[in-house]
Amino acid sequence: MKSISQMTMRPVLVFAVLLGLLLLIDGALLVDGISRRKVEAITLARLEVLTGALGLTDLAVSTEARYTRHPAVSDPIAPFMDHPGAIEHFPTGAFWLPPSR
Amino acid sequence: MAQYNIEKQLNILDYALSSLWRRRLKSLSVLLVFAAVIFLLASFQMVTQALSDKAGQVLVHTPEITLQKMSAGRQEAFPLAYKEQLAGIFGVRRVVPRIWGYYFDEVRLANYTVIGMDTAEMPEGDRLDSALAGGRMPRLEEAGRVVIGHSIKKGLDLGGRSTFSLFRPDLSLKPFEISGEFSQHTDILTNDLMVMTLADARDLFAIPADQVTDLCVYVANPKEIDTIARKISDALPAVRVLTRPQIQKTYQVVFGWRSGFGSICLLAALAAFVILAWDKASGLSPEERREIAILKVLGWETRDILAVRFWESVIVSGLACILGITAAYIHVVYFSAALFRPVLMGWSVLRPELHLLPSMAAGDILLILAFTVIPYLAATVIPAWRSATVPADSALGG
Repeated sequence: MKSISQMTMRPVLVFAVLLGLLLLIDGALLVDGISRRKVEAITLARLEVLTGALGLTDLAVSTEARYTRHPAVSDPIAPFMDHPGAIEHFPTGAFWLPPSR
Repeated sequence: MAQYNIEKQLNILDYALSSLWRRRLKSLSVLLVFAAVIFLLASFQMVTQALSDKAGQVLVHTPEITLQKMSAGRQEAFPLAYKEQLAGIFGVRRVVPRIWGYYFDEVRLANYTVIGMDTAEMPEGDRLDSALAGGRMPRLEEAGRVVIGHSIKKGLDLGGRSTFSLFRPDLSLKPFEISGEFSQHTDILTNDLMVMTLADARDLFAIPADQVTDLCVYVANPKEIDTIARKISDALPAVRVLTRPQIQKTYQVVFGWRSGFGSICLLAALAAFVILAWDKASGLSPEERREIAILKVLGWETRDILAVRFWESVIVSGLACILGITAAYIHVVYFSAALFRPVLMGWSVLRPELHLLPSMAAGDILLILAFTVIPYLAATVIPAWRSATVPADSALGG
């Protein structure tokens, strides 16, 4: 008969179980991602029709400033054009790089 | 022999795990900080990559050439007669006039993007109704009818009504009836859009009947876009000519580590690594010296002690990497990058539902590893060597 100390798993096995659990979660996320991608394909077809039919040039992610709403058709100077000495003050400006021409 | 080596490495791994468990508070702290840093970097990488991918996929259908007029560095309306001037350029297949502007709703403090055009003239125009959540696009002769984005409808809070009014520049009211609504799923393009007829857009912005703000130009041969764009520039020097490749290129470079927020993420990660590396390199604690000395007395070789330190680093950085990347994916996909939304959308009143689905390629994971795990492993090499070469008697005798 084994004593309790002999019955405890060696650390490598405990670690392997933990790693296996984490990879199982990642596997579930992967499977869910594949099913989401199928839904995404339907949405993408709609987005393509909208872009073609309305001649859209930009993503509608941030609507606070003209140059972050439509960076593709804005000049790099646009954030500083509102008045002399204007500084770029919109939070979304921190996320976007000025478009290169 | 191979069996012996594997068993030996497993035993060393056992020891490394026990060693980490003995110092569990410190190990857990390092693991959590490390995972948080990787989470930050991976989230930024996933959000920007998902947005760039989406833009890359949909902007293939943007107009081949877009014309706008600049005056004193600002965009302004220009005569519709420019369209006739383009007709003489060989290779131009179609020119569609458009009114495109912004309407600031002072009641809701929201910006709307207003587009007025005859969509029947556009490519895919006949399929546009199928992309709506409900209703249909207004026909050319249907005055006062409009299709609005999901967020606008939510913001207007119309209840059961389908009519609303906007102010003209002279503060008179222009009534509209909603003829259709863009789907919530297409929010990333149509969130703040209001599409109406050309005549209604002119009326709303008080633009004269012979003026437009844009011309969408389509060419017969896409390979000639640049040549035709050059000819248009020569024929109409006052207009700004934007080509489809230029617009597509913008979204390949507009998100990056050099943006303010990207730099902050990167600098935060760098600062965390400097602190970790400094902690590792700043010397051994008396407990660690004693432990190494005992191991050496028991017959452990320097390379065994190095292997223990190596496995400790691999376990901590590997676990942190898996935890950080998994948490980042959950954050971006299931919580729509909620932590980044305050910066990504700022003071925007209309906020789109972001359905981001990053595709994690091997290159992206390698990039994150290169920024995080590899510096950590490198930072532990020298301290590991120093710890392994401690003379046994110096620690025990001391």
